[in-house]
Amino acid sequence: MSVPDYMQCAEDHQTVLVVVQPMGIVPEDQFFRIYKRISSVSQVSIRDSQRVLFIRYRHHYPPENNEWGDFQTHRKVVGLISVTSCNTAKEWPQTSDRFHGQKEVFGSTLYDSRLLVFGLQGEVAEQQRTDVAFYPSYDDCPDVEKRVEDFVESIFIVLESKRLDRATDKSGDKLQLLCVPFEKKDFVGLDTDSRHYKKRCQGRMRKHVGDLCLQAGMLQDALVHYHMAVELLRSVNDFLWLGAALEGLCSASVIFHYPGGTSGKSGARKPGVSSAADAGKRHRPGALTTNAISADTSTEIGRAKNCLSQEDIIEKYKEAISNYGKYKSAGVIELEACIKAVRVLAIQKRAMEASEFLQNAVYINLGQLSEEEKIQRYSVLSELYELIGFHRKSAFFKRVAAMQCVAPTIPEPGWKACYKLLLETLPGYSLSLDPKDFSKGTHRGWAAVQLRLLHELVYASRRMGNPGLSVRHLSFLLQTMLDFLSDQEKKEVTQSLENYTSKCPGGMEVISLPDGLKLPPVPFTKLPIVRSVSLLNLPASLRPHKVKGLLGQGMSSASPFIYSPITMHSRGDERSKKIGEYFNLVTLMSFNCLQIISSVCYYGTFLNMIFANVAGYHTSVFGVSSDCLLEGLVGVKSSGCMVEVVPSLPRLQLCTSLPRSAHLSSEDLSTSVSLQLFNGETQQLTITLENIGTEMLNTLELTSKTLSTKEKLFGEFLTWDLQDALSHLPLKSGQSVSIPVNISAKLDFSGQENLLHDLNDDGISVTGLPVSSPLRQVLKPRAENKPDMTEGQRTLEAVLTFKYSGGAGEVEGYYRELSLGVRVDVEPSVFFTRVSTLPATSTRQCHLLLDVFNSTEHELTLSAKNNQDLVLHASECQRMAIQVDKFDFDSIPVMDHDALRLATVRQQEEKRQQVQGGLINSTLDIHWTIISFTKGSCPDKTASVEGVLNQLILEHLQLAPLQWDVVVNGEPCDCDMIADCRVGDAVPLEVKLTNRSKSAVGPFSLTVIPFQDYQNGVQNYDLQDAITFIGSNTFYMGTVNPTENSVCVGALLFLYTGDFYLNIKFQDDSTARDLPPAWFCLPSIHIRAQEPIQAAA
Amino acid sequence: MQTAIMIVANYPLYIRSVPTQGELKFHYTVHTSLDVVEEKISGVGKALADQRELYLGLLYPTEDYKVYGYMTNSKVKFVIVVDSSNTSLRDNEIRSMFRKLHNSFTDVMCNPFYNPGDPIQSKAFDSIVSTMMVQAF
Repeated sequence: MSVPDYMQCAEDHQTVLVVVQPMGIVPEDQFFRIYKRISSVSQVSIRDSQRVLFIRYRHHYPPENNEWGDFQTHRKVVGLISVTSCNTAKEWPQTSDRFHGQKEVFGSTLYDSRLLVFGLQGEVAEQQRTDVAFYPSYDDCPDVEKRVEDFVESIFIVLESKRLDRATDKSGDKLQLLCVPFEKKDFVGLDTDSRHYKKRCQGRMRKHVGDLCLQAGMLQDALVHYHMAVELLRSVNDFLWLGAALEGLCSASVIFHYPGGTSGKSGARKPGVSSAADAGKRHRPGALTTNAISADTSTEIGRAKNCLSQEDIIEKYKEAISNYGKYKSAGVIELEACIKAVRVLAIQKRAMEASEFLQNAVYINLGQLSEEEKIQRYSVLSELYELIGFHRKSAFFKRVAAMQCVAPTIPEPGWKACYKLLLETLPGYSLSLDPKDFSKGTHRGWAAVQLRLLHELVYASRRMGNPGLSVRHLSFLLQTMLDFLSDQEKKEVTQSLENYTSKCPGGMEVISLPDGLKLPPVPFTKLPIVRSVSLLNLPASLRPHKVKGLLGQGMSSASPFIYSPITMHSRGDERSKKIGEYFNLVTLMSFNCLQIISSVCYYGTFLNMIFANVAGYHTSVFGVSSDCLLEGLVGVKSSGCMVEVVPSLPRLQLCTSLPRSAHLSSEDLSTSVSLQLFNGETQQLTITLENIGTEMLNTLELTSKTLSTKEKLFGEFLTWDLQDALSHLPLKSGQSVSIPVNISAKLDFSGQENLLHDLNDDGISVTGLPVSSPLRQVLKPRAENKPDMTEGQRTLEAVLTFKYSGGAGEVEGYYRELSLGVRVDVEPSVFFTRVSTLPATSTRQCHLLLDVFNSTEHELTLSAKNNQDLVLHASECQRMAIQVDKFDFDSIPVMDHDALRLATVRQQEEKRQQVQGGLINSTLDIHWTIISFTKGSCPDKTASVEGVLNQLILEHLQLAPLQWDVVVNGEPCDCDMIADCRVGDAVPLEVKLTNRSKSAVGPFSLTVIPFQDYQNGVQNYDLQDAITFIGSNTFYMGTVNPTENSVCVGALLFLYTGDFYLNIKFQDDSTARDLPPAWFCLPSIHIRAQEPIQAAA
Repeated sequence: MQTAIMIVANYPLYIRSVPTQGELKFHYTVHTSLDVVEEKISGVGKALADQRELYLGLLYPTEDYKVYGYMTNSKVKFVIVVDSSNTSLRDNEIRSMFRKLHNSFTDVMCNPFYNPGDPIQSKAFDSIVSTMMVQAF
């Protein structure tokens, strides 16, 4: 006997064994349907008695086990039910023969047998036979159960008769010696007449009768017989049978104490049974007397004593097992006894003792076990440990069983079975497959063994051919066991995860196993670890803006509710960000020591079209994409953020002809360029805008803003022409448009501020003597000025802003901005170190003297209007004189509307100066070129004098509002005109004042003083002898109203020939005090008096 | 000779085994022995005096090892696994070893920088365990 029945329990001793077998070809499913129906008849109440017969059915039973039937009668096959298909009457005889053959297998022990024939109809089927039942088909057999019951009853009759036969058979006849198969040869040649032998026979027979009584439902009788057997066998040291007798005693007592059974399977015994058993107990006295079994049966008082107490059951089991243990061949019996005892102890809740029995069972060597048997054995051990509450031990054995399924010796490893068993071990190791159980608090369970189990699950599921499953398990391992993995292990785990996911990427779906187990998704919330979450604004170039005028209207129309909590929320503390088709939530991540390539984006739910709740983020790590909810994160407080969603807008990408550069001081720029220009240089920048969005671009605006700079800027910094670009609109997706932008850097050209003060000190020289030819003179730059000239670069910054819109977003009134920062490092080129004016010969003109300094390292040429080029070497300073017509500033409209709005007088004044400066500058048109840089297309660089002009110089450059005209002898005198006259003739002198100022001037008194200039610095004013005034030499001029003029006339008489000058002076200082001296700038008069003949000639 | 000392509070706080490479085996042994510990301490009808006894005795013998248990009042378990062939160690020796372990474990607990529930990383405790293992096994 080598095949243990691990499912046995103590009450099985009470049952009779019936084998149900298919015969010939019977479809498996049909057979088991019938088998199920047969085995439903597990207990039968016997008519006319209070007794119940319990039946144990087996569809497979090894005949060698049957040979132990004498040892324990419940191991004996007493009934056989054969199930067969038989379609034609022709086959019947053959079928019948086979049935007989099958009976022979268990022949020696069978009490009765039945044959169930399916499919046969006709006259053969109509014959009435007790041992054969005919059914037309498997579906049409209503009375199978009835048949089986009849069959059981017939078994009972045989059993009962055998029992009675044996029980009463205690006469002087020689008793047969019952023995187990391996004993048979031991007893050959034994003295059968010895007392010892007789006792042995008696004892064994008692035990056998006890078994029969137990089977026949006579519990008390069985107890009595067992007791007697124990005594008899103990005295002859027949240990094996003593063990059996003790076990029988235990079984009977267990049946008495635990009518519900010990197998733990509910419904194994019908509830009615126990009551029937109770009823049996109650009526036992009567039963005993009527049956008149044995004279030895005790009285009622003795009966309660016969039954073992609960404590004693275990003691007797122990004794029985130790007795069995003396025989190597009884290993199966011992093992089964252990299992039975464990089940009893489990009910008694004596786990410690049960574990001892189990420990013993583990060590029982049954010789060579097949792999399948090993698996079965470990599984049963696991179940039993579970039964006594040793979950860890149970898990351990289940795991061993699982490993046995895939042992290397097995040709076809059962990975599925292995996996299934491994899953069952999870609770024993405090593991679940839901990562949520491990997200909070300290780790649960024993990480070292959990880790091992998870690895095994991964491997098993992979070998099962379910890569998705292994990815899920491995993800779970990584997520929950991360803290327990060493760096090396982390590396290994992640590598294998990557290997798996390369074939089967991990996702967030729930994996359902065929047996109904669901594996929840495993989001990697620890890879990477999120430390904090906050909403950040979109990059400036993507940020949508609301058109201001539409804001209020848009908000109110967006919400159908008068009061919307969502809107309130978004305006609340939690700052909401408008987003386009892009989400931009940024989290601070702290990566583990592993090299992780992860892409992170965010997801949330759209509450409606206007707001979205950002509830988590999405990562893809090692090929596993996971959606992590912010709520579940450790160390992150946020549970989501509200984001306002805006309809989609087009998206522009900007590129420039110049290389990009580092950012400017301002942060909101999408891109910026920087370049270097010499002061006064102009460069063109081409900006290309490409629509990389999906929406069509409808509108485009361009504005520029010069960032506040200390430097004074002259002229427009950035100029552009948008017309060409606008003609390309609307811009479809993928199209692009170019916009040329001119960048011109024109900063102050003045060398140093204190130079201007110098000029002020020079004021006298400005109004000094007329210089007939402009002086050109090389000046060495003053030593103290030099550092200032080569002073470092100055920078100009401006932002070009493109506002654009289109698509659905435009309808809602949104637009986007794209800004380009422009940074220009302005290098010094030329400086005007000194500016002064010299009056020209004409009062309508003057000379502007500019000291120009070349601060570059290159040789450059300088040119102004009508002037020839001036060549300046590096660090050279030269004076340049430009003759200019004086300006009539009054005729240009200084004040436009913008200017009028300017608040202060000072600002107005500045504005006017600026305009005047511009006018002067454009008239002067000063250009400079670096000779070595000159190329065909290189435009001239300009230089602006605006910065160096001050009020004084402006005044000198301005046409005086009082215009004085002197006419001598009928000829106007100006410039170097020499008026000719004759000696002796009266020369009429006319001084005319035209008032172009805004107020009345005068009255004035003018005195004419003649003098002679000897051209050697000596001027002779003593000319009373040479010139006579006809009339007074002093003129009086009354008040002249604006735009009016006044003329005073006098006459002179020259007495001698010669060159004379007339100096006209103002006598009234009081009037001159109010008005600037430049207003009284009269032309000098040069008169050449000649002899009349000479003059005529 | 294979031995191990493990300190467990439902999960291992400390493990030391000889030889070190067979550690996983001891993990399994000790893990399953917790079943017995649980059973022993949940034992119904135990007298109050019994509960003061911290030594749990031989938890279970296996083919290769004897597993002894000890539990502090704060339910931290000490488990000593001894090779079955080691006959020099009797119950009394094991008991005194546990007492020694408990004393130094208390010292570890008294360390204000030790967080209850963290794995024990104390050099002093290490050295005591080391000398104990050298002496005993």
